[in-house]
Amino acid sequence: MSLSQNRLQEERKQWRRDHPFGFVAKPARTPQGGLDLKTWECAIPGKSKTLWEGGLFKLTLIFPDEYPTKPPKCKFTPPLFHPNVYPSGTVCLSILNEEEDWRPAITIKQILLGIQDLLDNPNPESPAQADAYNLFKKDRPAYERKVKQVVKENQPI
Amino acid sequence: MATWMSDEALGARESISETHMLVTELYNPANQRDPTRINEIQARLQQLQKTEHAWAIADSLLQNEHSPQHRFMGALTFTVKINVSWNEIDENAAAEIMQHLINRFVALVNKGEQAMVMRKLASSLVAIFRHPATPWKQAVWQLAACLAHGGYISEEESQAVDFQGRILPALGKSGSGALLFFSIALAEEAYRLDSEPQDGAGEKSAVQRAISNIKDGLLLAQYALREIVHHAKVAGDDAVDVALGAEAMSSWKTWLGVHGNRQRSSAEDVNVLAVNCGHTIIETLRVPSLSESAASILTQAFETRRWAFDNSSIWLLSEILADSFVTARIAAVRSGDEGNESMSFVDLLIAYVSHLHLGIFSDPVTQQNAAILVLVHGIFETPGYAAIDDLGTPRVLEFWNEIAESLPDELEHDSPRYQLVKSHIAQVVLGLSGKLLYPSAEDLEDWTDEERSEFGAFRHDACDYLLSAYPVLGVELVTVFQRSATSYLEARDWRNFETAMFCIAQLSEAVDENGHADQCLDAIFGSDSFARLCAGGEIEIPLKARQTLVDSFGKYQSYFERHSALLAGVLNILFDSLNYELCAQAASRSILTLSKSCARVLTADLPAFLDQLDQFRSKPTATVSTMPKVLEGIATIIQNLNTDEEKVQTLERILGFFVQEATTARAEVTGPEHESGRARGHLVLSCIASIGRGLRSENDEPINIDNQADGNPYPPSFWNAGPGAEAQRLIMEAMRLLIVDFPVDNSIIEAACDILKAGYTETAGLFVFPPSMTVDFIKSFPLGISGTDVIMATASSFLASHASHAMNIRSEAAALIDHVAQLFSSMLQTPDLYDPETANAGIDFLARLLPKYYPILFTSGPELSPESPLVVLLHFTLHALTRPEPLPLRSASLFWIALIDLRGNTPEQTSIIESVHQEFIPRLCYTIVQQIAGRCARSDLVSLNDALRRTIFKKMVLARPALRAALDSLNAQVTDPSGQQVPLLSTQDKSRFLESLVIARGAQKQSLDIVRAFWLKCRGMNFDYAQ
Repeated sequence: MSLSQNRLQEERKQWRRDHPFGFVAKPARTPQGGLDLKTWECAIPGKSKTLWEGGLFKLTLIFPDEYPTKPPKCKFTPPLFHPNVYPSGTVCLSILNEEEDWRPAITIKQILLGIQDLLDNPNPESPAQADAYNLFKKDRPAYERKVKQVVKENQPI
Repeated sequence: MATWMSDEALGARESISETHMLVTELYNPANQRDPTRINEIQARLQQLQKTEHAWAIADSLLQNEHSPQHRFMGALTFTVKINVSWNEIDENAAAEIMQHLINRFVALVNKGEQAMVMRKLASSLVAIFRHPATPWKQAVWQLAACLAHGGYISEEESQAVDFQGRILPALGKSGSGALLFFSIALAEEAYRLDSEPQDGAGEKSAVQRAISNIKDGLLLAQYALREIVHHAKVAGDDAVDVALGAEAMSSWKTWLGVHGNRQRSSAEDVNVLAVNCGHTIIETLRVPSLSESAASILTQAFETRRWAFDNSSIWLLSEILADSFVTARIAAVRSGDEGNESMSFVDLLIAYVSHLHLGIFSDPVTQQNAAILVLVHGIFETPGYAAIDDLGTPRVLEFWNEIAESLPDELEHDSPRYQLVKSHIAQVVLGLSGKLLYPSAEDLEDWTDEERSEFGAFRHDACDYLLSAYPVLGVELVTVFQRSATSYLEARDWRNFETAMFCIAQLSEAVDENGHADQCLDAIFGSDSFARLCAGGEIEIPLKARQTLVDSFGKYQSYFERHSALLAGVLNILFDSLNYELCAQAASRSILTLSKSCARVLTADLPAFLDQLDQFRSKPTATVSTMPKVLEGIATIIQNLNTDEEKVQTLERILGFFVQEATTARAEVTGPEHESGRARGHLVLSCIASIGRGLRSENDEPINIDNQADGNPYPPSFWNAGPGAEAQRLIMEAMRLLIVDFPVDNSIIEAACDILKAGYTETAGLFVFPPSMTVDFIKSFPLGISGTDVIMATASSFLASHASHAMNIRSEAAALIDHVAQLFSSMLQTPDLYDPETANAGIDFLARLLPKYYPILFTSGPELSPESPLVVLLHFTLHALTRPEPLPLRSASLFWIALIDLRGNTPEQTSIIESVHQEFIPRLCYTIVQQIAGRCARSDLVSLNDALRRTIFKKMVLARPALRAALDSLNAQVTDPSGQQVPLLSTQDKSRFLESLVIARGAQKQSLDIVRAFWLKCRGMNFDYAQ
């Protein structure tokens, strides 16, 4: 088994043993019902006492062959309205950038907690989509209204 | 007394006396409610602990006859002082301190000192052990010998006595306990040191010396545990020293951690000792007073130190789990007689079976493991809700999930073992069924939000198990839930029906598309009971069951496509469910999904759906999250009607209502109800935009370019000049009511843009508006409003939709370019008006139009006058490169890349492009060089470098002299070490930079590294991340 597969198996075990409340992270299934360890389907709850509270936001983690040397790609599906999420849904966060703060020791749990934290603490220095960024900078009440709508449309069932 | 500890000086005596008083005061109950005073005391104590008299203070406190708090503070002061005076402690001092502390340690043990003080003093001993000048190595052995001897003896002397055979038996209970405190503290320190970067890894380093105690630490733990087990057998459980036993087990676990980090292959004797010690701990499971601690320690060891268990330990553990006091405790958990305090036994059970994994299903299964598997299955019988009252079920489920996931890959399908495991996996499904029942309303009332989420998460974990089990169990798995669903539906047992439908819905992932479970689904959805439900005769169906049912419809999209006869009934339930807040979201989603996939079949039922829509649109659940989805679904069905005449009738009926609503919104927005007016306006336009999405033609045929090559971009059609014109007029009227003189609102603008965009991919249709409508709409908004990015993105989509016949909309494109030029001109003339959003949106619009519309952009010809829109636009894009806002800068960089890449199709076009390049590339180079010479933010370097490297790669002849001139213009000065003002960049620096860029020939990383280094040199090295 390759290094990345070993690590992902271990991540799976660790996640089962202990994961933050309300989060979901599991490998996707192949058409035959088996597990595709390189693609994880995840969900991040909005932090309580923030605008994002009550929402559950789905994202996909795609692990490259070089994982954990290289970071996974984290993509909200569907793309999320947020200043640091690209129109494609890909998250722009320094710990997910190989040339910035990614380290092989960073776990899936840490990634998801980092993204949860980013939801209510956007980084205005690294805008990734104009819509959310401009509204965030220019019209905070409209930004908040839009976030509330996004939360409403992403309720857990 | 050693000189370093002397209290001869007057100052020392005063400090000692003050410290004693302060400690007395610190623990005085009267002061506990005065945090200010407590803080003052602690601050003063910390000062005293760092003074030159601290040794004497520590020793004096440690000798206090009456107060354990003073003695505790004495031990703490020793630790603080060792750390504070770290650099002053030489070899002699270290030896003296160690000897002194050992003597005090032995004396306090002999006096029966409290655990709190002994632990603290053990930490002080570890603090001096850690010091590099300390010669101490076999610390556990030596301290044990000192305890046995009654005072300090040297390490050499201690080594002369057999540790296991003579020293350990000579220690009393208190001696063993105190030694265990020290052993654990030393092991924890060794573990910590081993995980940190080491200054020195030689034999004398603290970590190496600590590691040489692993064997003694394990021998001590094993000795203490064997004594306890023996004592329990002889004198009974009541005589067991529980605290000592817990310390010994904890000591085993900690030394195991230290040993596990090392090269275990080279220390076979220690491996054996560690395993034997673990064996002894497994035996303590039979000692009731110690069993809980043992279970907890063993569970932790299973998780991280599996090597500490050999076959013999596993065999012993299986015997104990299968039939002992532990078995009874687990059974008590299962029957609900014991609460969460016995969970450590369940955890051990799970750790054990997880350790064996598929190995537990040996052929044949051992008698013990068979009994253990019964116990494991039995956990599902624990009363109460899983994850709330019953904590065992979620943990057991994790184990079964791992088994189900790995079975297909690890065992041959036709092997007897595979069949055996399969039967267990099926048994889990049955056991789990009862656990998935959603709580009754009364039970739910008492739950916190967190408990609701916990239970929800458990249900989803359970379904994850079902999906793992499906490849093993196949359709039989669905059959189990189908039978439940059918019978509970018949009996109107809604709670159980909900559970069965929940499981069936989650299994859709495995069976919807392939149709494997169609027969099962037929049995539910084809039943008479379900038909009654569709007919609306089951109004008493509780909301939770309705919500789950509605959700399941959307998940079986492919099934319903194959069984279209069921659709009308299903949609009836869905429309009915729109009236309930809990169900409206899921219902609207399912309506959209099913309408889209089965639109053609549903056309006959359209009148009924329209009636239901009429009822729904006035309900409070008709919100911007639900209603647009319903309308998109209905519009998809309308799109499948046979004739445009039929379509227009229904569309007029729907749109007429929205015009009325728009009029109401307009009236509301000027009065006190303005927020309601805004929300209503948003809802109206969102719904119309959704209709547009639903009406998009299904076929992906390419638009016939020839038809429009030289013609009218808006040819007359059924929808603009025929019977459909009234419907189109209604949309325009609704937009006019909500845009012209209506308060500017981002969400309304976004919805209006969606309406315009809905027709861009169509050749003819209700949403294909005259091109002037888009232009007028875009020009109607003033500079600086929020939503400009959406408006300009619409402009880009508009141009893209006409790209194949760009010249047909020449005047509209020119009007849009002029509009952007005017906005840019205003911002250049009045810097206060600069709006980053408009800047970014406008530049992005220009970059996108360049490839197809550049002839219109360059209409002013080869002579570029300063007032021409083109010059204003280009000037503004250069200006954006100098501004701090990241998005306009990024767009400007992309714009220049697109402009540099541009090639004309005719000699005339090429000539215009060349003249623009000639004129503006020098200005671009100047701007970029000024910025990367330390002016821009570090994060902007990537974008600036992209424009720079493309210029060098594609336009070397123009770029090279332009860059040289730009570099020559840099004249920043710095002060050199001799105080002289000298240029920051020498001529050589500048040429080297330029030549390096030229050699890189546009390579991304290479260029970026060169640009970063240049920026750092200009900005100062302290801006480097590494600094």
